[in-house]
Amino acid sequence: MARDYDHLFKLLIIGDSGVGKSSLLLRFSDNTFTGSYITTIGVDFKIKTVNIDGQKVKLQIWDTAGQERFRTITSTYYRGTHGVIIVYDVTNGDTFANVKRWLHEIDQNCEVVNRVLVGNKNDTPDRKVVLTEDAQRFADTMNIQLFETSAKDNINVEEMFMAITRLVLRSKLEMKERQNEHKDIVNLKDKKRSSNKNKTKCC
Amino acid sequence: MSSRIRENVKHLFECFCEIAPPTENKDAWIIQQYPEKYQDEEVLKAVPKFAYPYKFENLVIQHYSFVLTDLESKWTYGFCRHDPKSETAIVVLSYLPWHHSFYKFLDITAVLMHSTRTEDLSEFLSTLYNARIAEPGRKMMVTVNQGQNVFEVDVPKPFQLPSIPKNRNLTEYYNAVESQNMMIIFASMLYERRIIFTSNRLMRLSACVQSANDIIYPMIWQHIFIPLLPLSLVDYLLAPMPFLIGVPEEVMKKVSRSEIGDVVILDADKNTVETPFDDLNNLPQDVITTLRKQLRNKSSQLGDGVSRAFLQALVQLIGGYRDALKFQPGQRVTFDEDRFIETRPVTVQPFLKEMLRLQIFQQFIEERLTMLNTGRGFSDEFEFELERYSVKSGSKLKQQYKEWTTTMRKEGTAFFKSVKDKANPAMKSAVKTVKDGGKGMKSAYKGLRSKLKEGHSSSSGVYSGTKPRSAPSSPTTKRKIISDLMMPVNTYKKDASLAIKNANLQRSYSPLSPSDSQHDVVLDTPRSNSPIEIPRIDLMNEMQDLLKLKLESPPVDRSLKPVRSLENFANCSPDRNSPDRWTKVPPLRPSLPPPLSRFTGDLLVDLTPPELPPRRQSSQDDLLCNSKSLIVGSGQNENGDPVFFLANQNVVDVVKLTPPQQYSSTSKRKANKKDEINLIRLDSTSDLDDFDPLKSSSSTTTTSNSTPGDGQMPPMSVLNPLYSSSYENHQVRRNFTSFTRQDQDLLQDYGLTFNFGENVATNTTTANYSKSNWTKFD
Repeated sequence: MARDYDHLFKLLIIGDSGVGKSSLLLRFSDNTFTGSYITTIGVDFKIKTVNIDGQKVKLQIWDTAGQERFRTITSTYYRGTHGVIIVYDVTNGDTFANVKRWLHEIDQNCEVVNRVLVGNKNDTPDRKVVLTEDAQRFADTMNIQLFETSAKDNINVEEMFMAITRLVLRSKLEMKERQNEHKDIVNLKDKKRSSNKNKTKCC
Repeated sequence: MSSRIRENVKHLFECFCEIAPPTENKDAWIIQQYPEKYQDEEVLKAVPKFAYPYKFENLVIQHYSFVLTDLESKWTYGFCRHDPKSETAIVVLSYLPWHHSFYKFLDITAVLMHSTRTEDLSEFLSTLYNARIAEPGRKMMVTVNQGQNVFEVDVPKPFQLPSIPKNRNLTEYYNAVESQNMMIIFASMLYERRIIFTSNRLMRLSACVQSANDIIYPMIWQHIFIPLLPLSLVDYLLAPMPFLIGVPEEVMKKVSRSEIGDVVILDADKNTVETPFDDLNNLPQDVITTLRKQLRNKSSQLGDGVSRAFLQALVQLIGGYRDALKFQPGQRVTFDEDRFIETRPVTVQPFLKEMLRLQIFQQFIEERLTMLNTGRGFSDEFEFELERYSVKSGSKLKQQYKEWTTTMRKEGTAFFKSVKDKANPAMKSAVKTVKDGGKGMKSAYKGLRSKLKEGHSSSSGVYSGTKPRSAPSSPTTKRKIISDLMMPVNTYKKDASLAIKNANLQRSYSPLSPSDSQHDVVLDTPRSNSPIEIPRIDLMNEMQDLLKLKLESPPVDRSLKPVRSLENFANCSPDRNSPDRWTKVPPLRPSLPPPLSRFTGDLLVDLTPPELPPRRQSSQDDLLCNSKSLIVGSGQNENGDPVFFLANQNVVDVVKLTPPQQYSSTSKRKANKKDEINLIRLDSTSDLDDFDPLKSSSSTTTTSNSTPGDGQMPPMSVLNPLYSSSYENHQVRRNFTSFTRQDQDLLQDYGLTFNFGENVATNTTTANYSKSNWTKFD
């Protein structure tokens, strides 16, 4: 295979508009100058290739417009993705409330998906309304990692993306392992499995 | 909200552009645009890409559309025209999905661009740009070329299902793709797959994608929607989320199939579908069987037969949502997912569980709940079909309903009990609410009055909050040339009362601001064959029609009481496939001079007598309309508690939202008496006509071709099938003599049987029904 990566992961970034999803993507991605299409076709993605433990991982991070109109984001939305980055704005309590609701939903419908919680715009302490402790407490109950970032000041952005990538990579490898185990035992089943795609998929 | 079509659209179009094709070293670019002030850089940057989606040979005149999606996920439509005789392409951007009209617009523009008189084009564009958008069902007309041609825009009515051959998109889709494949696509959309349409004809491509979305009405595709994907954006096919994307064949060739993963691909030229899924077979089989049968029946394909077949399938699939709605006094209406599953037959339950995971379904439910909780009604095609389905397919459904009835009864015991206990206090508080002038009713009433006083300059802003929803529709136009009309036709009913009516209308845009220009020319040519005629009727003509109507006694009441009770429609549709089954619209009316000042509340008073003729009171069927109250609206009182507005012929009551059985006959009567003093008398003043209560009071006796609720303030609602039927439940208890077939059917629909079993099952011909409804007015 003449591809320039070992793994391709499709990630999703969700959160209300205005929480800084695009800025996070811009800050992180390789192709900063390709322009954005979120305002014209309602969807955008950015690409970045990272190295994790010597493996080349190509990330596509996808964003769609107008998610705040969904009271729940249903599992079909996550179906094809490997990981979800859930972003709120630490200076806006409503965005956190939305995120909480969505996360509960993901939890109910879609347990396998990897996810991280991100409080963006963490650069002006006096405007911060979502306290770290609260967010952390929530993250703990949901069993999810919390990152407070600032796309503007480039704080914690790289770490966050790397964390989700690791998570996805880990579950992919785990899955492979499990498949291999199965291979030893039941051949037939494995056939089915691998035809179903050997990626970590949500739902 | 789930609608992705913008509301409160101010201009017929947003921008017109002429675009030069790409060259070796230059992308396509905009040569000129109108208006200059349109400055959305991102959009302007994108438009040339869509006008020249790939390098194609321009051999024939081509029209097609594309869609841009903004940050709020709302759609902007681009209509594009290529002409081999012209080196450039022209594009018009609009928030309105009126394909037919905009293709014509482009044709005319193309002519004008070559006009010897250079001002022609700019005059045409500026007239249209500055024209107020006419109301649904009306036409806008502009003469061009110094009167040689007329450009008309038929403003589509809400709730209109796309029909063949009027709707170009659906016609194209239907012609290109056999019904089996349409069904597979339909199923794939119900599973929210990643779906690609491809064709080498851009018109066909964009039309098919648009139609595929139309066909899942009342749901709306919530995901990525790109009816035409330019080559430069081909990477977006890698999106892991659900999408519906039209990919030109040339672009498709550049796609690496292995990279895009699991997709459903419809080739509209070859009429083939490739899918790794088995979605169609995973739909409940009886639904599919019925759908297949209907689509096979070629004779019924003309008109909205195809749209309706799919709509009916959806009714069967998700119509049960109503049974899962939960009302609790003082609380918002909610949707109980478990109940949604449990109340349905075991066979469909697995599918419905899947359904709950769909964004399109969740948004549909959200939207219905919002409508209920804000007191807006939703008497749309879907609810109508739902009613009809419940009644008509009684035999099949009977079993279902029986099951539901049992459940209802079981729960009902407790329900009834608590209801009894509470009955009196609830009623009292309701009365109090009324007396105190609870937010809902009185202030609404006040609002209306003040609107009336304000006259024609008012209203649009106030009601712009309504979030309409309309059936997917696209305009169709009568080719009628009427010269010497320079202004867009808007009607002259510029008075607020009618404007208010319109305000609450469910539709996909709200061009409500009534023009205050005195020189608007009137030309009222309602189309006569659309399912639901929303009468944007001017009062003068109205009066004329009344006489005519009475003589002809058509199954339509075009009076000022545009009530649309679903059961009426259900009962008066002799032929469900006939587009004009509900309406026999009076013949084209001559336009009258616009005496603006007369169209105020005062005039409405004059109109009342013909509508509520005394004779009617003595009519035999009047049992029904005299004794029967209807829920005509809902809203909230000052405590935020939901209240209903009940109306019978004489009275409007406000009743707190309580379970139907909650109020006893005595208290109701008391309330009536009190209310008679405080409330609007329905038969006496002009206020009536603004108040939907009154309209609905007649809803059992008339079939109106209009949509209810136009006259209401947001907190009050249009006749709501849900509420009205639940209310009728206790009408039954209260006054058995007034109990009619319709009540029975409705009750049955809601799983409540009160020993009128056999009647319900027998399906008298619907025509009879409507007749009996109508005779009352004679």
